Amino acid sequence: MTSSLKHTAQSVIRAQSFGLAMVLVILAGVLTAVSGSHIDPMTGASVNNFLNAHTLLQMATDTSTIAIMAVGATLMIISGGIDLSVGAIYAISGVGMAMVLRGIGPMGPVTTVLVALLTCLAISFLCGLANGIMTIGLGVHAFIITLGTMWIFRGLAFVSSRAESILVPTPLTAVTKASLGLGATLSPVPLLAMLAVTGVGAVFLTRTVMGRHVLAVGGNAEASRYAGLRVDRIRLGVFLWSGITAGIAAFLSAGYYGSATSSDGTGYELYVIASAVVGGASLQGGKGSAISSTLGALLIVLIRQAIRTLHLDQNYEWIIIGTAMIAAVVLDQGGTRLLARRMAGEASASSSRTK
Amino acid sequence: MSPAISSSGMNHAISFRGITRRYPGITALDDVTFDIAAGSCHAICGENGAGKSTLGKILAGNEQPDSGTILLDGQPVAFKSPREALAAGVAIVHQELAFCEHLSVAENLCLGRLPTRSGFIDRHQLATQAAALLATVGATMDPARPLGTLSIAEQQLVQIAAAVGCGARVVIFDEPTSSLSEGEAKRLYDLVRQLTASGVAVIYVSHRMPEIFLLSDAVTVLRDGRHVATTPTSALDEAALVQQMIGRTLEHYFPAHVGAAPGDELLRVEYLSSRGRFEDVSFSLHAGEVLGLAGLTGAGRSEVARAIFGLDPDATGSIFVRGAAVQIGSPRSAMDHGIGLVPEDRKRQGLVLSMLARENTTLTVLESLSRLTFVRRDRERALALGHFERLKVRTGLLESPTTALSGGNQQKLVLAKWLAARSSILILDEPTRGVDVGAKAELHAWIDKLASQGTAILLISSELPELLSLSTRVQVLRAGRVAGELPREQADQDSVLRLMAGIA
Repeated sequence: MTSSLKHTAQSVIRAQSFGLAMVLVILAGVLTAVSGSHIDPMTGASVNNFLNAHTLLQMATDTSTIAIMAVGATLMIISGGIDLSVGAIYAISGVGMAMVLRGIGPMGPVTTVLVALLTCLAISFLCGLANGIMTIGLGVHAFIITLGTMWIFRGLAFVSSRAESILVPTPLTAVTKASLGLGATLSPVPLLAMLAVTGVGAVFLTRTVMGRHVLAVGGNAEASRYAGLRVDRIRLGVFLWSGITAGIAAFLSAGYYGSATSSDGTGYELYVIASAVVGGASLQGGKGSAISSTLGALLIVLIRQAIRTLHLDQNYEWIIIGTAMIAAVVLDQGGTRLLARRMAGEASASSSRTK
Repeated sequence: MSPAISSSGMNHAISFRGITRRYPGITALDDVTFDIAAGSCHAICGENGAGKSTLGKILAGNEQPDSGTILLDGQPVAFKSPREALAAGVAIVHQELAFCEHLSVAENLCLGRLPTRSGFIDRHQLATQAAALLATVGATMDPARPLGTLSIAEQQLVQIAAAVGCGARVVIFDEPTSSLSEGEAKRLYDLVRQLTASGVAVIYVSHRMPEIFLLSDAVTVLRDGRHVATTPTSALDEAALVQQMIGRTLEHYFPAHVGAAPGDELLRVEYLSSRGRFEDVSFSLHAGEVLGLAGLTGAGRSEVARAIFGLDPDATGSIFVRGAAVQIGSPRSAMDHGIGLVPEDRKRQGLVLSMLARENTTLTVLESLSRLTFVRRDRERALALGHFERLKVRTGLLESPTTALSGGNQQKLVLAKWLAARSSILILDEPTRGVDVGAKAELHAWIDKLASQGTAILLISSELPELLSLSTRVQVLRAGRVAGELPREQADQDSVLRLMAGIA
């Protein structure tokens, strides 16, 4: 009984996301303690400047765009590839959707939302397909192909929209800003979407055949081929997922903010990759977790929030984020090495006992 | 007996005194004490995990002992790094060759002490130095070639040249022939003799019995990190050495499948060719048969295996499975025809090292263990567990990282993968390379058992004794062509070697 309890505790501690979650909890605790409080003018109650529903949901909304794309990026990085074009896919999906809706004209609210979602998904799917076909078909590294398509997709968005900011119909905003009974100023939809995508990503990676195949191909593509896996097909699937998560994020953001322009999401690809890497994904492939990547995105947003809450000079934001990212990865690698050594020690100890 | 041994106590190049090295959870070396004579070849044997490699690493400065001392020519030394060891004249030739593949042979040889003139690399001087170093080991390759284009044997020569060039008085060879063909190994043996004759002490870590008896003056056996015995080689025979290594006697047996009549033809290959690799290879393989494929490195054995397994897009010719002509364009389609391949390079081709042992075992059959793409974990676990038990891998290792397993257990995983896929035609390419004696005997028993149960096996091995004892027939390839085929009764070391080398 106690030993199984101990075993469970051990596996929780060993879980990839545990350390990161602890860092987030501690950081949030510190922020709550030092941020002070103010008096709500409506109710007269004292409200913590950090720990209140409004700030937390705003942070979740800020995180959701990056985190949803980071789940796609995690699959991509695990498979041994990289996708630099997700920020551009995000922009072209949002702009494309807004233009299609503007072209069709007014429709019923449900139809509008469905058409918008399908357009976003279709555009992002095609972008992912283009990336995948070029990378695999031409045998050029994903870094180079997606660096090229990063400019191509954004350029297409720029040219087709003439760099205008295009408004999206109100039903979209109604859906993405729905309060779901929490009170008029609170909108949990981006948070729920983030949790859903992360959950699907986590289940995909840990429970499905396809997810295991992605881990295998990223760990050793040659051995995977020797084991009869269809390596090209698996890698193409990863490109599609990477594109589609950008499409989902674009749908949510365009609705939430009410418009889309071709400069949306500039530089997001780097935040997205940073989130996955902070979450322990290895750029060599074969290792990573959807939940950890979302926590990684949350860490980046939390650091930005901390700078605001603590009234630090915002000019230092990038320096702090850069430092935190490197520190997180170094700490994670150190921990992984330690764990690997211990497990290797246990394994060889137990195998030598059999002799 | 060599003179160095008889004058024991006088001429010790190296003395280990109470060397102990602990890792978390395991003692890799436990109070190991013995001496190595100057100018002798001293073999170190033991099963995987016995501590041989750790001992080599400590001597070469890659690791430090927790306690104990090493005496070099009677003087205590404690190397903090390979660089210090090298400066004192101790060099190691590794199992895994550590080189910069994109740099030239010359640059690799002189890396760390590149000759310069006014801050720039002196190319002329570099080429001269490299050529001189290569000449000392009788290597003839062009020093300007990128190292990555060399064969493993040639790369090893470069490594030895680098060691000798540093004026090494002690050279450690860690499994040097595990990736070499018979001919290449012979050249290495000559080199070892040349080194010992010039007064260098050679420490030779190996699994291979024949070469231990061929080369060494004395043998030290380690078991579970402890020193078992140091014996002059002349006072040992193979059985006694194996007994020292595994602590029990190993039974010799006659493979059971040999007595049985072969079953239906499962695989037939006709005029299989691939430009620049092999030409007009034909054979047939029946259920219950082990067809041995012999040949020197470069004769095209692995290339034939790859072609049958759908990994050679240039291959032409016909392949028949159970009498029907088939097109095999990928490993997937080979699998669909019941063909499995245990590849020669277990770490690169056989296993995904970043995954768990269980996950590697079920990789070939994961789809059949799933419902609506969700892996059924209970079924996956049960399947992997069953194979671990059958192959005598400790079931506690099921959820271990694959890298934590010994070479023998890793090789069993690769085999388990194809047992799980229920392959009726198995191609085994060097199935016991880098595997300790105990695991090797178990793998041999499995090959025999599978054949007895009706699996058709194509066995590729550079170890002739293994090939000859297991095969029903032996086909010999030479320079990509079939040089001949011998039935078991006529296939002896001499006749096969003659076919391999092309001596009538």
